[in-house]
Amino acid sequence: MGWHWESTVIAMVAFGLLYWLLSKYAFGPLFEVMEKRRQLVLEQMNTAESSRKAAEQQMEEQKAALQQARKEAYEIIEQSRTTSSKQAEEIVQTAKSEASRLKDDALKDIESEKNKAIAALRTEVGGISVKIASKIIEKQVDEKSQEQLVGQYLKEVGNK
Amino acid sequence: MHEFPVMPLGPFNIDISTTVAILVSVIVTFLIAKLAVRNLSVDNPSKMQNFLEWVVDFVQNFISSTMPANRVKPFISLGMTLIMFIFISNLLGLPFGIVTETHHAHENLGITQELLDEKGGHVELAWWKSPTADISVTAGLALIVFVIVHFLGLKLNRKHYLKHYFHPFPVFFPVNIIETISKPVTLALRLFANIFAGEVLIATILMLGWYGTPFLAAWQAFSLFVGGIQAFLFTILTMVYISQAAIHDEEH
Repeated sequence: MGWHWESTVIAMVAFGLLYWLLSKYAFGPLFEVMEKRRQLVLEQMNTAESSRKAAEQQMEEQKAALQQARKEAYEIIEQSRTTSSKQAEEIVQTAKSEASRLKDDALKDIESEKNKAIAALRTEVGGISVKIASKIIEKQVDEKSQEQLVGQYLKEVGNK
Repeated sequence: MHEFPVMPLGPFNIDISTTVAILVSVIVTFLIAKLAVRNLSVDNPSKMQNFLEWVVDFVQNFISSTMPANRVKPFISLGMTLIMFIFISNLLGLPFGIVTETHHAHENLGITQELLDEKGGHVELAWWKSPTADISVTAGLALIVFVIVHFLGLKLNRKHYLKHYFHPFPVFFPVNIIETISKPVTLALRLFANIFAGEVLIATILMLGWYGTPFLAAWQAFSLFVGGIQAFLFTILTMVYISQAAIHDEEH
């Protein structure tokens, strides 16, 4: 046992060599891989965060869509309700007007029939009274007065 | 005690057991790290990869406790290399030892005739130990730390780094110099002393023969703990020194 400066030099050279070899062939690649893993983890965390955000956003969108759909359905129901009541009103209105029209028509028909009947009765009555009159006149009017009558009649016709 | 084989190689005296131990530590450390990153995967890491990532996290956390979190990154590799290399080095001498006995002088192993005579013609050679149980090795590590600390101090934080030698008054300059020098010295001595003491005690317990087995087991377990603590201490102190020299917080 003693001091050998050669051992010191050998130790220093060996340590330097070991440091160089380890840095180049062992620690360099190892640090690279660890750095890569760090990056990977970071990336995955970022991805998880962004996908969580995306999911949240989608959830929000779906909620909004659902709300929209609900609102639309309500609107449709409301609309159909108003439409149906309006239609019912219209139908009732139409039926009413139709009924009144029919009533008016019937009244008119009745009136005209009545008038016709009155007119027909009048003509009939006129004819009958003429016949009755002519029967009476046949018996009472003489030739002369008949002639006078005819003449008067003709004159009347000529005046017209 | 054992002698360590020292091979004269031209003008150099190579401590064979230390050199072998350093090389084995380097190779084992590199193999473990390389095995751990064999099949790197981002989303399905293997057990070994998980383990190494745990070490990275651990190192990163305790470096963060010494300096602002945004300055940690460049020092993780250094901290990882330090803690893994020192921990494996500390454990290297624990499981077994290789000791040979010789009765002859081997000049090319540093066994001279004088040494042989001094030991009574009988020398035990230890071929296997923790590299950190050798002060020369821990001094080398501390020297590396020393160079890094002061280089980074000059490069990143020159004004405050130079100013701190004269803090709080210029007369404190010698004290500050002593402090600066004592840092790497204590770093080296602490690591060496702990591991060396552990190995000495293992060698001592081995002298008990078979009766020492439970003590040996207990001491090896404790040495495992000490090895971990010392590796951690060396690394965190390195980071503290770097932080003191090179990182200047705005608030002080």
